Amino acid sequence: MTVPISPRALVSAELRRLAATRLRLWGSLAAIGSGGFVGVLALIGPENFDPPLPGLETAPGVRVVLGLLGLCAFVPALLGTTAVASEYRHRTLTTTALFAPRRWTMLAAKLAAYAIAGLAYGLIAVTVAGAALAGTAAVKGVALGLPTATVLALLARIAVTMAVYTLVGVAVGALIPNQVAAAAILGAYFYMIETALLLIPGVKELYPYLPGGATAALTGFTYLADALAEQTGGGAASLLSAPLGATVLLGYAVVAAVIAVVVPLRRDIT
Amino acid sequence: MNRGSWTIEVHGLTKVFDSVAAVTDLDFTVSPGTVTAFLGPNGAGKTTTMRMLLGLVTPTSGRATIGGLRYAELPRPAATVGAVLDTSGFHPDHTARDHLGVYARLGGFARSRVDEVMDLTGVTPFAGRTTRTLSTGMRRRLHLATALLGDPRVLLLDEPGNGLDPEGIAWLRGFLRRFAAEDRTVLISSHVLSEVEQSAERVVVIDRGRLIAAGAVADLYGEAAVRVRSPQAGSLIAVLLTAHGGAVRVTDLGPDTVRVHGLTTAAIAADAAAHGIPLHEITPERPTLEQAFLHLTGHDQGDVS
Repeated sequence: MTVPISPRALVSAELRRLAATRLRLWGSLAAIGSGGFVGVLALIGPENFDPPLPGLETAPGVRVVLGLLGLCAFVPALLGTTAVASEYRHRTLTTTALFAPRRWTMLAAKLAAYAIAGLAYGLIAVTVAGAALAGTAAVKGVALGLPTATVLALLARIAVTMAVYTLVGVAVGALIPNQVAAAAILGAYFYMIETALLLIPGVKELYPYLPGGATAALTGFTYLADALAEQTGGGAASLLSAPLGATVLLGYAVVAAVIAVVVPLRRDIT
Repeated sequence: MNRGSWTIEVHGLTKVFDSVAAVTDLDFTVSPGTVTAFLGPNGAGKTTTMRMLLGLVTPTSGRATIGGLRYAELPRPAATVGAVLDTSGFHPDHTARDHLGVYARLGGFARSRVDEVMDLTGVTPFAGRTTRTLSTGMRRRLHLATALLGDPRVLLLDEPGNGLDPEGIAWLRGFLRRFAAEDRTVLISSHVLSEVEQSAERVVVIDRGRLIAAGAVADLYGEAAVRVRSPQAGSLIAVLLTAHGGAVRVTDLGPDTVRVHGLTTAAIAADAAAHGIPLHEITPERPTLEQAFLHLTGHDQGDVS
């Protein structure tokens, strides 16, 4: 009786593997922390930022606070890098390869499991953030500058961003099995390299298709893009639509995952 | 459900790592129903060969198959082949039960298998402990439990005795015998001969990546002999050669000591008594597997690399 292993079994194995580690606790805390961060920002009020920004009673004020939550999406990306790296680190890769010799199925299962985990992370983060935002507005006695439906839509987009970023993390982590190196490269890219790239004339036109631009499209947070446009003179590059932004980001994750599958195929597990 | 007998076949297997030949043109077969020991000094290429059998290392040339298929071609490899490799680890946060649960799902095996393999391998008493707290012996048992999740027909164990206490080794020996008795195929690698001498019926010996010998353990020992010491050794030799002719070979070991091949101690003692020749010593000699192994691998001539 040779029933092939069902994809569901592989995904459920990866979920169980993840759920039984401390990452579940730390991930939940990080998600709650990210959401809480929004509460702190809202409590301080954008009008007290340096430089001061429009307050919560205005549409840009609410967008800034939610956009900063979107910037926290790199945290689940970092958590995602551990998916493959921990198999190298704890030397479970051999056993995993024996049970699932086709490496692309193994990576696909991890991507699926982490998509679920990343979405859970995002939902926790935006639920806490949404509650904090509403609570702060009530405490301060101001009405949020955006309609509730718009706020909920933005929160949902941020949750999706976090799930997509988790996948980018898994894929990059598969490509660069050294956990520290993968995290450093992701962090460096989002905080320095992309911004530096944009200073090169012409590259700005590509911005909507770069990870940062696609993220801005997805989260609807264009503060960085606008600031950049201001500094460099030209007008802001027009961003993609939110679904297209998500697709572009997923495209990066898929490219990284494909390279990660093709490269280790030629690599002996010793 | 009879899931059949699986033979391990290695043909012309060669692996070159960065121009260093780890395994060269290896040929051997491992049959079901027996425990076969895979012997060789450290660095002989045992682990590389096992990794090629398991699809973890790609051979430079040649074939390593199980039941005629390469590992990755097996429909559900973990349900056919169980393997424990020396370098495997566990996630330190996982309990023993978590670890088995993950791999039972990954292999698509029933949940009940987790408890079954834990009972079978003695993991149950520490099922709830995180793997970071386990002793080497416990980790060994947990690795074996993992390999058995799919109720495999073939078992490949790399240095299974490492880190086991004498009780554990005795238990493993019994386990492997019972496993093989069910017409399953067992290949265990080792550089510790005493471990293998008592558990394996067949051996495959390699050194520096090349096959040195393959066959039944008994064949590897070489010819038995009897060591005899007598003040009249010369007369004894003459008597034995006259009585038994060409069946007897004698080697001088000293002025009054000889080694006699081809006769039992009883036959020699009877001839000596019949001719009134006093014997000061008569000892059956059986070369140990260790000696045979050292002889085969040429490492008794001081050229251990």
